[in-house]
Amino acid sequence: MKSNPVVMEHLRAVHTSYVVDFTFTNNITILTGPSAAGKTASFSFIRECMAINPNILCLNYLDYQKDIMHIIQQAKGKLIVIDNADILLDDAVRKHISLDADNQYLIIGRNPKNLFATKDNLFELISRRDGEQTEFVIEPYL
Amino acid sequence: MITVYKDKRDIPDNVEYVELNDLFFNQNTAAKLDGQAEALIKKIDSSKLVSKYKIESKFNGVVLDVDCLSTGCKTVLNVLYFPDKVFCMKECGENALEELYRLGRGAVYSDYAMIPFEMENVTASSVNGDRVVDDYEELKEWWEDEK
Repeated sequence: MKSNPVVMEHLRAVHTSYVVDFTFTNNITILTGPSAAGKTASFSFIRECMAINPNILCLNYLDYQKDIMHIIQQAKGKLIVIDNADILLDDAVRKHISLDADNQYLIIGRNPKNLFATKDNLFELISRRDGEQTEFVIEPYL
Repeated sequence: MITVYKDKRDIPDNVEYVELNDLFFNQNTAAKLDGQAEALIKKIDSSKLVSKYKIESKFNGVVLDVDCLSTGCKTVLNVLYFPDKVFCMKECGENALEELYRLGRGAVYSDYAMIPFEMENVTASSVNGDRVVDDYEELKEWWEDEK
């Protein structure tokens, strides 16, 4: 599904020597790829930004007991970043996300079921060393 | 060989199912890490186990707590050290799946196909019984058709 990002086209987060520099081309970005690419590390750096950026909402396995649908339905104008999405998102939440025009999503997982995703939504994480810094960017998966 | 379940109802009542691999690893498996874990951590996460609870990051060589291992690697280690439980395998990348399928024993669950391109024998367990499968296409068919 091709749709323009409704919250932000660019996200930059710095955590000591790590830099997350993501450019979004779609309202739903599914970040997939092999284990240990740095997906959860990037999530933790973005989550730190929640403290000062009211437009970011992060969810992961620590929210397992919460009502994810309710949290998302209450959100407006947020970039909702979801790690551990393959265990957190049921079919109903996935369908809601696919039709949500109020928020933008960065979904870290491997199962695109019920998100009406196409290759336009699939991205992988690329890490680059620049001196002592490590930069994470996203690139089309296919 | 490992046992694969595709329906939670097929997991025996006396066997615990674990969905949150990160949490289970941090609370249970981390304390059990030994030489067996070292090679798997190297293969899956390209990290070095430098002491019982520490790894060296592949990104910049910084020493980190083992809770920073990937969820896929944690899942494989959970299965290795707790072969009597069933673990959710949905968060395993291809590199973790390859090592998972090579384990001598253990059990995993996913309601959709999670198969490495280079796979070993597995026991596919469902309401229709157990069968040994060593072929990617055959296992994919079992996962998709025999529901």
